[in-house]
Amino acid sequence: MSDTPILEVRDLCKRFPVRGKGPFAGKSWLAAVNAVSFRLDKGETLALVGESGCGKTTLARAAAMLQPPTSGSVRFEGSEITGLGNRSLKPLRRRVQMIFQDPYGSLNPRLPVGAIIAEPLLVHGLGDKAERRQKAVRLAEQVGLKAGDMSRYPHQFSGGQRQRIAIARAIALQPCLVIADEPVSALDVSIQSQILNLLRDLRDSRRLTYLFISHDLAVVRHFADRVAVMYLGRIVETAAAETLFDAPRHPYTRALIAAQPVIGRGKRTAAGCLSGDPPSPLDPPSGCPFHPRCPLAAALCRESRPELEGDSGHQVACHFKNEGGT
Amino acid sequence: MTGFLFQRLIQSAVVLAVMSFVIYWLMGLMPGDPIDLMISADPKITSEDAARLRALYGLDKPITERYLNWLGAAVGGDFGFSRLYAKPVPEALLPALANTVRLLGITLCLSLLIGLPAGMAAAIRPYSKTDYTINLLAFAGISLPAFWLALLLIIVFSVFLGVLPAGGVAALGGDGFWDQAKYLVLPVANLTIASVGGHTRYMRAAMIEALRQDYIRTARAKGAGPARVVLGHALRNALIPVVTIVSLDFGFLFSGALITETVFAYPGMGKLIFDAIMGNDYNLALVALLFVTLLILIGNLLADLAYAWLDPRISYR
Amino acid sequence: MRGPMVDTADGMMALALKRFRRHRLAIAGAVVLAVLASLAATAPLIATILGLDWEAVDLLNRFAPSSAAHPLGTDELGRDLFIRLLYGGRISLLVGLTATVVAALIGTAIGLLAGFYGGRLDALLMRFTDSVIALPLLPLLIVLAAVDLDKLGLPSSLVQSQYVSLYRIIAIVALVGWTTVARLVRGAALTVRERDFVLSARGYGAGGFRIMTVHILPNLISPVIVATTLSVGNVILLESVLSFLGLGIQPPIPSWGNLLTNAQELIWTAPGLAMWPGMLIFITVIALNFLGDGLQDALDPKATD
Repeated sequence: MSDTPILEVRDLCKRFPVRGKGPFAGKSWLAAVNAVSFRLDKGETLALVGESGCGKTTLARAAAMLQPPTSGSVRFEGSEITGLGNRSLKPLRRRVQMIFQDPYGSLNPRLPVGAIIAEPLLVHGLGDKAERRQKAVRLAEQVGLKAGDMSRYPHQFSGGQRQRIAIARAIALQPCLVIADEPVSALDVSIQSQILNLLRDLRDSRRLTYLFISHDLAVVRHFADRVAVMYLGRIVETAAAETLFDAPRHPYTRALIAAQPVIGRGKRTAAGCLSGDPPSPLDPPSGCPFHPRCPLAAALCRESRPELEGDSGHQVACHFKNEGGT
Repeated sequence: MTGFLFQRLIQSAVVLAVMSFVIYWLMGLMPGDPIDLMISADPKITSEDAARLRALYGLDKPITERYLNWLGAAVGGDFGFSRLYAKPVPEALLPALANTVRLLGITLCLSLLIGLPAGMAAAIRPYSKTDYTINLLAFAGISLPAFWLALLLIIVFSVFLGVLPAGGVAALGGDGFWDQAKYLVLPVANLTIASVGGHTRYMRAAMIEALRQDYIRTARAKGAGPARVVLGHALRNALIPVVTIVSLDFGFLFSGALITETVFAYPGMGKLIFDAIMGNDYNLALVALLFVTLLILIGNLLADLAYAWLDPRISYR
Repeated sequence: MRGPMVDTADGMMALALKRFRRHRLAIAGAVVLAVLASLAATAPLIATILGLDWEAVDLLNRFAPSSAAHPLGTDELGRDLFIRLLYGGRISLLVGLTATVVAALIGTAIGLLAGFYGGRLDALLMRFTDSVIALPLLPLLIVLAAVDLDKLGLPSSLVQSQYVSLYRIIAIVALVGWTTVARLVRGAALTVRERDFVLSARGYGAGGFRIMTVHILPNLISPVIVATTLSVGNVILLESVLSFLGLGIQPPIPSWGNLLTNAQELIWTAPGLAMWPGMLIFITVIALNFLGDGLQDALDPKATD
């Protein structure tokens, strides 16, 4: 691994304006992503995990410069990419690709599959028509589609096949970084593992780096090298996957792991299970954002927000990170 | 709320300003400007004379300068002279305006009184026989060419039955109520038939949308009767879009008035504008057109007020 | 959010077809339009078969009642009304369609720009559209129709052309007829641009033009079709009223509107002449409106059954 990370995000914030209610209310802001920092080295797979609404998708889109961040820095292979215009971003777009959650929404229903896969090549002016066609067929075969599928339309495919099409499109430009936003959560469980295997094979054969977003810890456990857990727009714990699963230190991480269904055991362990919904990001709690749902919460937690601390291998944002361990 | 209205006010002012320039410019492109007319009236005029006359009337100046001069005079209350009526423009305009307001006022009331209940009746049971019939009639009204309908009305009521006058307004002597009213019957009928279909369709669409909402289902579930659901809950919400569309339709209504007035020789603003354009009376056409535009914009603003009153959510837009 | 079946184009078409078939008036409208269009298209053939000529004046045979030789009688110059109606239909339908297509192109462009870029451009374009809708259009069209084309500096070969009234009416009707399409396209574009495939296209670097034309526009076909169908009727009405007022299609070219121009003067002598052209306009427009309404119902993404 080289020293320069492929993607480095520092203090990234993304806020959305929200229209107030009532005649005299001004605009208020929803902080979807709040001062998030992480780095992603070449060849590594980092998983962003959290409940829905915690800001993972916003973070991914901001990192991919699909929604410009409000503040903070995003460096791609060492160079700053925030504030760049569409034209300057275009060369970068070849190297970073996204895969979306909903394979029904991410493919243009009016284009045949061949055109969908070849479109990134066309946009970047790579090859002539015949070459692009050939390349699209090769890509399709690589992700497990047939050459005969090229003239069919997305609606003629199942969800898993559609996600294969989306993956073929994503690797068409030979990117080095792929941001996958919940790529398997819209699929049947039996299909999920096929797609995960495909992603893993591609990682190995093409030396891809993944930023992998998921709410499903079971998926992440065997796929990611490192995991970052997000809660209400912030990272609350980050560690190597094994460490995180074996020795989680943030009560939220523990709760997430405990909430997983375990095969062979009918009931989830009641202890440490999450109660209630995450608070509204419009009106975040004072102090530690997790304190209203935290079994360890004390007065301190209501007053001051813990910083993300620890060595580079394992960082936790909790006042009691060294207590109540497993 | 004031912010919203202020924004609309500015918008209306901009529209009026742009329209005044565009219409002024178009009037200059009409065949037969005053000099053309003089030339055709007096064959002895040479091209030098024509040029001199143009300079005298300021017609050799650039269009923007002429427009600004006209605008200055208009703001000062000088709207020029109508050649067709041989009167200052406002004096020619006001009687026509009174006639049109009478025609459109009666028509709008009638059309809404028929169209809104009809639309509601259709919306209560979509795709029922009632709905089907009302829809059919509404579409027929929308699709009728107004000028042709006017011809048919004249043929039936004036030519064959001979019960109503084919056009004009009451003669000077006959100013009894019926004398005046009978001249209004056919134009009002014509214009009402032309606009009631649209009003019915708007109301139907808005009511169906309102009845689709969750709170209507709640009201029904609570046991509110159909009349209560429709009149008490859905009507207010259905009226909100209807008010907007009806107000946006003032321009359409006036277009209908132009046709109706022209065919029935009813001396209103529409006929006046048409005659002014056809008779090369551009001072009058310009001012009359702008005046109608102004009235329509004011109507739209009033509708915005009504909209704000009907919909509490508008206040913070 | 995704409704049931919305994304399966086959299912969508089948569903739309099923809903459309339920719309008996729309089907009737389509049939009537097909008949009218084929009659107008084959007018020269019909004229030859019947041995009639749309221009042949027969002053000895003015205001003739309907007979074997003249199915609908003759007009004030003794010309056969039936054949003139067919030829007028050619012009009225052609002008209506052409003007609507031009208007639909303008409306699509404006709606697409507003819906795709949003923000200030959207606000500006939509305020502009609202303003155009609110204006008293007929008097403005009359002004436009009366403008002296020489003074606009158009080439005199065009101004002198026999068909200049045709071009002019197409141009001015298109100039005001785009608003319905613009609003519908804008609304639909606002929805489509939020879909992931648009975001994904942005993600691989597609430019605004490409996203609009390849990714958004093809997904807006149904609202464009509906709005265009509904506009044709309005456009035909506008053409007919302008021609009726003597400002649209100029004789000797017949159109349904200008066939009625003289009807008002002849109302006492030959009321029958006022019947047929207006009836044809009415039937055409109502058929178009039924068809448009049926298409709207059939293609409505909100409907579920």
